[in-house]
Amino acid sequence: MIMICPGCSCLCDDITIKDGKIFNACRRGEEIFGRYKENRARAMVDGKEVDVDAAIGKAVEILKEAKNPAIYGLDTTVVEAQKLAVELAEKLNAYIDDNSSFCLGELVEAVLKKEMPTATLDDVRDNAYVIIYWGSNPFHSLPRHMSRYSYYPRGAKRPRGYDEDRYLVVVDVRKSETAVLAKKNAKFIQVDDDAELVDSFFKAMDGKAAKYAQDVGIILNEMKKADFNVIFGGLGLKYGLKDLKMFVELVKKLNEVAPVYFIPAGFHANMRGFNETLFEKTGYVNKYSFRDGSSDDSFAFTELLMNEKIDAALIVGTDPIYSLPHDVSAKLGKIKTIVVDPRMSFTARVADVVIPSAISGIEMSGTMVRSDGVRIKLEAIEEREVNDIHILKKIMEGL
Amino acid sequence: MALNPMDIYKLLPKTNCKKCGEATCMSFAFKLLNREKRLEDCKPLYEDKKYERQRKKLEEMLKPLEEATETGLIVNEDLCVGCGNCVVVCPVHVEKDPKGAAVGNGPTIDDPILRVEDGVVKVINMQACRRYGKNRVLCVVCRENCPTDAIRFLEG
Ligand code: SF4
Ligand code: SF4
Ligand code: SF4
Ligand code: SF4
Repeated sequence: MIMICPGCSCLCDDITIKDGKIFNACRRGEEIFGRYKENRARAMVDGKEVDVDAAIGKAVEILKEAKNPAIYGLDTTVVEAQKLAVELAEKLNAYIDDNSSFCLGELVEAVLKKEMPTATLDDVRDNAYVIIYWGSNPFHSLPRHMSRYSYYPRGAKRPRGYDEDRYLVVVDVRKSETAVLAKKNAKFIQVDDDAELVDSFFKAMDGKAAKYAQDVGIILNEMKKADFNVIFGGLGLKYGLKDLKMFVELVKKLNEVAPVYFIPAGFHANMRGFNETLFEKTGYVNKYSFRDGSSDDSFAFTELLMNEKIDAALIVGTDPIYSLPHDVSAKLGKIKTIVVDPRMSFTARVADVVIPSAISGIEMSGTMVRSDGVRIKLEAIEEREVNDIHILKKIMEGL
Repeated sequence: MALNPMDIYKLLPKTNCKKCGEATCMSFAFKLLNREKRLEDCKPLYEDKKYERQRKKLEEMLKPLEEATETGLIVNEDLCVGCGNCVVVCPVHVEKDPKGAAVGNGPTIDDPILRVEDGVVKVINMQACRRYGKNRVLCVVCRENCPTDAIRFLEG
């Protein structure tokens, strides 16, 4: 059986399950396939086990009573469920947000608005020469990114792969595992401040002196040799630069020298799917308020919580108690929380309502959007009736 | 950790008696390491009681080599994250599996040297590795491109 792995936004499509063994999935992916039956959520209301319909009923009640509800998460579920969640938010006049508001949302937005040229990972594999990982350590976040799509594989126009046909650049504040691999036809640039490197690129293109002029000069020369170069931007880029507009301008300007594409390197399997789904509906990728009809930093889920702007939250497939700073997640205790999750997450353990769901891609078929925007259809191993789509539909009906 | 022929040689009888079919004990040591000879081929080591302690030491020393006749390349599974870099870069895979490992996918041939199974790399077919056999070359490509130093070779 060939499966697609929902473990990260690489959405690897060569996972083979045979004779009880899982082939080709990295360790992160293997954990999903091998252990999806562990630590499953049970339907609960106020800490007591109930049946699923009762939990859904209670969720409807909470959402009906809420004055300022928010829907949050959704990065690991399928597009079909994301669409329903957006509809639900609209119906409730609610806020809706995902993890991309503190991850790569802005960069995805710039791509969707066509402010930077982009390409698919398949194009990268077949054509890319200079490959820059900027503030991204795929070793942790996207384990097979380099071996499947970028530096290592042989591609149609790059038949010798990393041997001779690629040039790898890793930009990071520390010597990451990815930086360690920058040996052959490669360069590692350790930055203290990403803005200085952006500045160096601009200056070098104008023939002026700059902090990283030498390194940048080499990279620009390599870029000129090719008709396809790519930058993968990760969290380090987002947090390293106060102003991402600078970076967008840089990519534009680089394209005066040689073709350079940008692809966000976010981790969550279907974060880009959420961004695109909301963008189609509203023109914004995240932190959106249907009541205000706009997106704003103050509508980010973390901000709403911190500033006590919401009284109820529907949390789908994410674990804020685990992933958000304690002073933020502690505020969840002050509001009504509904958790829709396949697993008994930390948040599920303290939620008012828990609705157990199916694992996307394994127990629920549907579409996800790879980090490069390619839509991938996932087929479940075994369909589970009570999945995110079913649950969101039921809630919608109940309202 | 790596075995070298000198350490093996030191424990052999060093008489160059040729009973093993080699001209010298030193060349026997090399062949042992290459797995072209087995320790038992040195008859004096087993026949003469005075070599018993050396023989025991050699047996101990060569134990990993015994395991390594199939897995000469050793993967530390605790360190491996299954990124597949080694699978994709291996020049043997590139040649034999142009539509699979060579282009970044999991191997599509039945007998790859390395394959990611249950999240970590397993050695499936060491015989195909360029480091082994008669015409071996000192290939280190898989080890060089492992982000976690999970791969090492018996012979360093
Ligand atoms: S790289 Fe991502 S999608 Fe591919 S196998 Fe690993 S976790 Fe799954
Ligand atoms: S049989 Fe043993 S002692 Fe004789 S040459 Fe070979 S290795 Fe040396
Ligand atoms: S040593 Fe070379 S031939 Fe052998 S498995 Fe590693 S990369 Fe392949
Ligand atoms: S390169 Fe290293 S970490 Fe990656 S699969 Fe091979 S042994 Fe494992």
